[in-house]
Amino acid sequence: MTQHRAALRLRLASSSSRHSSSTRPVTLFLPSSSSSSSPSSPLHLSAKRIIDYVLLGITGKDFVLMAASKAAMRGPTILKAEDDKTRQLNKHNLMIYSGEAGDTVQFAEYINANISLYSMRNDSELRPEAVANFVRSELARSLRSRNAYSVNLLLGGVDPISEKPHLYWMDYLASLAPVPYAAHGYAQYYCLSTLDKHHHPDITLEQGLKLLTMCTDELKRRLPIDYKGVLVKVVTKDGVKVLDFDNDRIVKSA
Amino acid sequence: MTSLVNQQPHSEAIGYSFSQSTHAPNKQHSFYPYTDNGGSTLGITGADFAILAGDTRSVAGYNINSRYAPKVFKIGGDDETGEGAHILLSVVGFAADGHALKERLDAVVKMYKYQHGKPMSVRACAQRLSTILYQKRFFPYYVHAILAGLDEEGTGALYSYDPVGSYEREQCRAAGSAASLIMPFLDNQVNFKNQYIPGSGEGHALEPKKAGPLPRSTVEQLVRDAFTSAVERHIEVGDGLQMMVITANGIEEIYTPLKQD
Amino acid sequence: MSSPFDINGGACVAMVGKDCVAIACDLRLGMQALTVSNNFPKLFNFGPSTFLGLTGLATDVSTVSDLFRYKVNMYRLREERNIAPQTLANLVSSSLYEKRFGPFFVSPVVAGVNYTTGKPFICGFDSIGCIDFAKDFIVSGTASEQLFGTCEGLWEPDMSPDDLFETISQALLSAVDRDALSGWGAQVYIIEKDKVTKRLLKGRQD
Repeated sequence: MTQHRAALRLRLASSSSRHSSSTRPVTLFLPSSSSSSSPSSPLHLSAKRIIDYVLLGITGKDFVLMAASKAAMRGPTILKAEDDKTRQLNKHNLMIYSGEAGDTVQFAEYINANISLYSMRNDSELRPEAVANFVRSELARSLRSRNAYSVNLLLGGVDPISEKPHLYWMDYLASLAPVPYAAHGYAQYYCLSTLDKHHHPDITLEQGLKLLTMCTDELKRRLPIDYKGVLVKVVTKDGVKVLDFDNDRIVKSA
Repeated sequence: MTSLVNQQPHSEAIGYSFSQSTHAPNKQHSFYPYTDNGGSTLGITGADFAILAGDTRSVAGYNINSRYAPKVFKIGGDDETGEGAHILLSVVGFAADGHALKERLDAVVKMYKYQHGKPMSVRACAQRLSTILYQKRFFPYYVHAILAGLDEEGTGALYSYDPVGSYEREQCRAAGSAASLIMPFLDNQVNFKNQYIPGSGEGHALEPKKAGPLPRSTVEQLVRDAFTSAVERHIEVGDGLQMMVITANGIEEIYTPLKQD
Repeated sequence: MSSPFDINGGACVAMVGKDCVAIACDLRLGMQALTVSNNFPKLFNFGPSTFLGLTGLATDVSTVSDLFRYKVNMYRLREERNIAPQTLANLVSSSLYEKRFGPFFVSPVVAGVNYTTGKPFICGFDSIGCIDFAKDFIVSGTASEQLFGTCEGLWEPDMSPDDLFETISQALLSAVDRDALSGWGAQVYIIEKDKVTKRLLKGRQD
């Protein structure tokens, strides 16, 4: 298998004129077949300029808790401290996202509009699994286009029929995985171990919030940047609700 | 063979002649002092013996340099034949470094006997080998060494090393180009990893099968199986299997042919 | 920059027995060294006794499995019969070669029992569809070297379904334990002419 792989001769076209700045993405550029009318398909395997924000998702007995940091950053500068990186797709589905500045909102708007359109046309809502697979297919399609979206996502939803919570983790390569709890960016390294130890599928919302607080406390303790607190939303069978979350808690560093 | 000139990897980029400068490029001459001579070695211990084995093929790239280039050596013997030796060393990686290392350790073990009037223990030899390797920390012997013998109690002892002298006593170890093929097989068949005693518990609470010293015939067969398997799937392994078995009665050498393709 | 085949990790193996085949995979999904999920199966069912295993870049594992679900469903509607493993193999090969100059970064494995002949069938592919027909076993994924070693050492011809299950399980578990990018549990399917048995293996969680 390795020999065949080597025979593919994947060319690293890092010196492409599009990216002249210092942050050069490594792009696996594969020349198109001569007769094909489709454009050559570069596969962007490293995000262009993915900015690490905090994204967290926790499922419980009958809910999904979603938290996204409120800082909008550009380099070391915080441009906004009340940024909303969440998008309600339909009554029972919430998406939170982070990634390259322009791409995130563009992609979220696009997904949001299409899922709304589906709801209007069919007078019924897509279930969490369907939403996740729709978003995945759109992101996967974009991945092999000329300019791919660099967006990391968490999709939380509650199935209105079974009333079971669903959480999907998806990265900018459109790798999709159903998970009981998830994080993106640096939050992965700081929070997943805490969640591994303390999470249980049957937890109540109260316990879920306690777990979320443990995670944000850890981030406050160990992250060198101020992510300006998190915006917390919860998805239940009754829809999406914003929760009051104490972001001003002082956490002493260890 | 070591390469004298570092060749630039072939570039696939589309090049136009006018994009290149007209005068001769500054060629970087350099000397890379290492070659990978391939091959694989394997050691397993038992209650009163240790086996050290290696294939006898020596390669450079896709070329076969030799079909009989031994990788397992007797250390501290009385003469050229290695008669009277009680320690075995296998080296795989860069053959020239392996040879130099073997010669050095052999001299050290002999000097020890002359100076102290008693043979060097395997434990002491193991520590000494680590020191020798670490002394060349910034220009290492490019080899993965395995040392075998019998310890003070007479049970089989096996020590494996990285190129700069980190070492550990183990029950079994595979090294060299086919190590990744052989090692998981050994985990399963020597240390009984992932094996459980049927009916010893409910669900996942089964009792793991305990690993203990294996009889010599079983170990010899495992070594043969490991190498015939490696020969099938790795091009750098083949030609011959050299097995050295050390017991209280001395060292026995067994050579069996392997596939030459 | 690591190879796209090694970003997410994963392993898959298929083996032939007497009138039966087995196919198994691990369950890990990672991003380099970080494990994201321990519930990411890489085996997909395309008929009563036909399976496809996919390792490589996780996004392509999903894309390719979705693509073949569509193609095999269309086949079933048009032909009014199930797809044979040999036919699936040719479909996989031609579909992957379609993307010759912008391939899916997957290493597929097909395993099944032909429902007309009753003969077991396995094969593997490279990412652009070159078929590797094998009489014994096929391996793929980041633990493929380790799997070659364990399978070559443990496999023997004409095993019964029970023996085949034990062999493929031991081969897979021992192999993934020596690969940092695979493991975290495993899934095994034993396929006979008119019976398929699915088993989950626990394995090490590290």
